[in-house]
Amino acid sequence: MLPILEISELAVAFNDKKILKNIGVNFYPRQITAIIGPSGCGKSTFLKSLNRLVEDEQGVALSGRISLDGEDIFTLSPEEVRHRIGMVFQSPTPFPLSIYNNMAYPLRYYGYGAKRKRKDVDALILDKLKAVGLFEEVKDDLSMNATLLSGGQQQRLCIARALTVEPEILLLDEPCSSLDVKNTQNIEAMLSILCRQYSIIIVTHNLFQARRISHRTIFMLDGEIIEAGPTKELFEKPSDSRTAEYISGIYG
Amino acid sequence: MVNGEGRASHFALRLWLSASVFLVIASLCVILGYIFIQGGNELSLSFLTDMPQGFPLGVEGGIRPAIVGSFWFTAIACAFASFLALPTAIFLAFYAGSARTVSLCHFFIHSMAGIPSIILGLFGYAFFVITLGFGVSVLSGGLILGIMIFPFIEVRVEKTLSEFPEDIVQASISLGITKRWTLVHLVLPECIDDIAAAIVLGGSFAMGATAPILFTGAVLFAPSPHSFLSPAMALPYHLYILVGQGISISKAYGTSLVLVILLLILNIVPLIIKMYRKER
Repeated sequence: MLPILEISELAVAFNDKKILKNIGVNFYPRQITAIIGPSGCGKSTFLKSLNRLVEDEQGVALSGRISLDGEDIFTLSPEEVRHRIGMVFQSPTPFPLSIYNNMAYPLRYYGYGAKRKRKDVDALILDKLKAVGLFEEVKDDLSMNATLLSGGQQQRLCIARALTVEPEILLLDEPCSSLDVKNTQNIEAMLSILCRQYSIIIVTHNLFQARRISHRTIFMLDGEIIEAGPTKELFEKPSDSRTAEYISGIYG
Repeated sequence: MVNGEGRASHFALRLWLSASVFLVIASLCVILGYIFIQGGNELSLSFLTDMPQGFPLGVEGGIRPAIVGSFWFTAIACAFASFLALPTAIFLAFYAGSARTVSLCHFFIHSMAGIPSIILGLFGYAFFVITLGFGVSVLSGGLILGIMIFPFIEVRVEKTLSEFPEDIVQASISLGITKRWTLVHLVLPECIDDIAAAIVLGGSFAMGATAPILFTGAVLFAPSPHSFLSPAMALPYHLYILVGQGISISKAYGTSLVLVILLLILNIVPLIIKMYRKER
């Protein structure tokens, strides 16, 4: 299988403090890859490097190569990269708009409203709300302000919104950390279905979650990748002693 | 937990707090009440719509040109100040980047807010009236009032924009949407009521100011302005003349009442906008 995302020699520093060192790893299409590691190991920074969001921050220096379908992402505009690589954040980020307008907002930017009929836009929105299992819960009141939804519903709305622009890859930064068990289950079940269509990269604190849903797992420590491989292998026969220590709960 | 001494100082603190609140509210009520009672008899439709008359001018008649003139000054001031304050606030809240640039700009803006208004007036006379040749006019007066209320509006608009959640902006940018589009279609519509409130409050600040227009736009008597280059009467300046020259104390109360009512209306506008937005 050809990788969808190839990373080599990626290094990121903030004001001369090295956050990521010599990262080299591949991500494969239509798979869930989990990134695990203790707090402050650079997982989130790594994720933000992939959609070039990290470059907007103060005092950042980035080097290395990231290619998406064989294309160097640094030769593309940041907007195009983010169009193709969507992102969902740790705490839900619904816009202070109605549920419908949260979904229509990116579509308006991409001019769907003008090019497509209203009916098609509506169909796309319903389709994505169904994909995240939110449609049944909100179908009676799509004009409700999205900030009034529960945390889990907000997070699923954010995932649906990220899907409206049809990204190839979906980045999720600890999407369940502020959610309860039931909502976490919902999202995990949904991700397992979504990965038939999208490549998913999920940063998680929760080793069980990584084990349950991911095909491949990457273990990071102090800004470096210690080990990467199929989830089953990494958890059952870790080749590095630090991985073994982390998954047995010795640190983090 | 609270010992004897603690209770006494707690009581003193409470007393100080409530006495201050009471004093502030009471003095506002006394001032407004006194003006309403004293100016009430003068207030009539003809007072609002007539020209000043009599000798010395202002002893009789109304204050229409002063009301109209004040609106001209205020409108020009608001337009000019917003034209500068909105982009400045957007730049500082979203584009300035380094914290040093931002604090340097804040230093200048705060210093600007501290310029005494009479000095602004004299600067306006030298620059707008003489150098740029706008003459003593609503334009010169309005522009200098605009400079006076610029920091007032900028600080409030920038605060509103900075309080817009950063993660919401990031979420929009993560959809591949440009920052500019995010600002125009998400941030500004969400902040528009606070921005409007800042501009209107700035306007009420300008409407009540006398010193900046003393040499730049306000005159003893003029008909309602018919162009940007006409000089005009203004309520606070008219009031100053009525009292300062001892022309008519009762007309002065009437004029104060009109000015105060206009300012109250301007101060209520933001509340109405807020209520309307909440209902939606």
